[in-house]
Amino acid sequence: MLNIEQRVFEIIASVAGVKPALIDADKQLIGEGRLFDSMKLVELCLLLEDLATELGFNFDWTSDAAMSRSVSMFRTAGSLAAEFIAQMSGRS
Amino acid sequence: MIVVTGASRGLGRAICARLISLEHEVLGLAREVAELPFPALTCDVASYEQVRAIAQTLRGRSEKVSALINTAGIASMNLALTTPSDVSKRIIETNLLGTIYCCQLFGPLMIRNKLGSIINFSTIAVALGLKGESIYAASKAGVEGFTRAFAREMSEFNVNVNCIAPGPIATDLLRGVSSAQIAEIVSRQIIARQFTPDAVCDLVEMLLSPRSRTLSGEILHVGGV
Repeated sequence: MLNIEQRVFEIIASVAGVKPALIDADKQLIGEGRLFDSMKLVELCLLLEDLATELGFNFDWTSDAAMSRSVSMFRTAGSLAAEFIAQMSGRS
Repeated sequence: MIVVTGASRGLGRAICARLISLEHEVLGLAREVAELPFPALTCDVASYEQVRAIAQTLRGRSEKVSALINTAGIASMNLALTTPSDVSKRIIETNLLGTIYCCQLFGPLMIRNKLGSIINFSTIAVALGLKGESIYAASKAGVEGFTRAFAREMSEFNVNVNCIAPGPIATDLLRGVSSAQIAEIVSRQIIARQFTPDAVCDLVEMLLSPRSRTLSGEILHVGGV
């Protein structure tokens, strides 16, 4: 799962245009000190959809359930990676 | 692929026929699709989950969606004071929320291509404030406001969002509107004549053309107001 978390962090870094080393679990994605504006979040979600397809599942960010979790899901790089892994494991 | 909602009747069906004649790949969405002579899927646009399921299917098939045309709509020519609440709710759900849902859920498919065009549909009733169309006009005024704001949100992704606002075009939607009422509305247009679905298809064709890439967030009134 660490490997998946790392891949999510790499995608976050690529969308943000920063070095992957700058992304850790506590890196804030939205809110004060955020890394992304809301449009970048859309790009990020599309890339996570692609990664999920590669891994054989659907990353859901458009259902009502996912949208209601979106504030907490996108809070930090770690929370997003955790949500991605939870969906991959069918736990979300 | 071009996705057209409200594809089974009226303007939606005419637009599908025009696009197919121009050799576009078209996917029609409608509540009833059994008799349609082109690829179509059953979908009530007022249902977020139904729209979402179709968007997911298209993504799963790696379909490239180049345009979305939101013609699905219902009308009720009635005074606001005598319109039952369930009718008002249904009009807002189909016309306004249906348009929003389709834009939300098919929009990402166009963002993937970094190119796309969305055409929403309003009505002359918004600009003219037509008596007996207050709920319908309210739903379409929402579509116009949404179009202008959503166009800004999508411009970064090279997706244009525009809106066509026809007058009384001869389609099923005009059932129950008298000839005198139609003549009165038409007389208030700048070009005072009733247009056919073909005129609307011409505008759709123009908005889908690469030559219209400078237009976004516009409300185009057929006949002018």
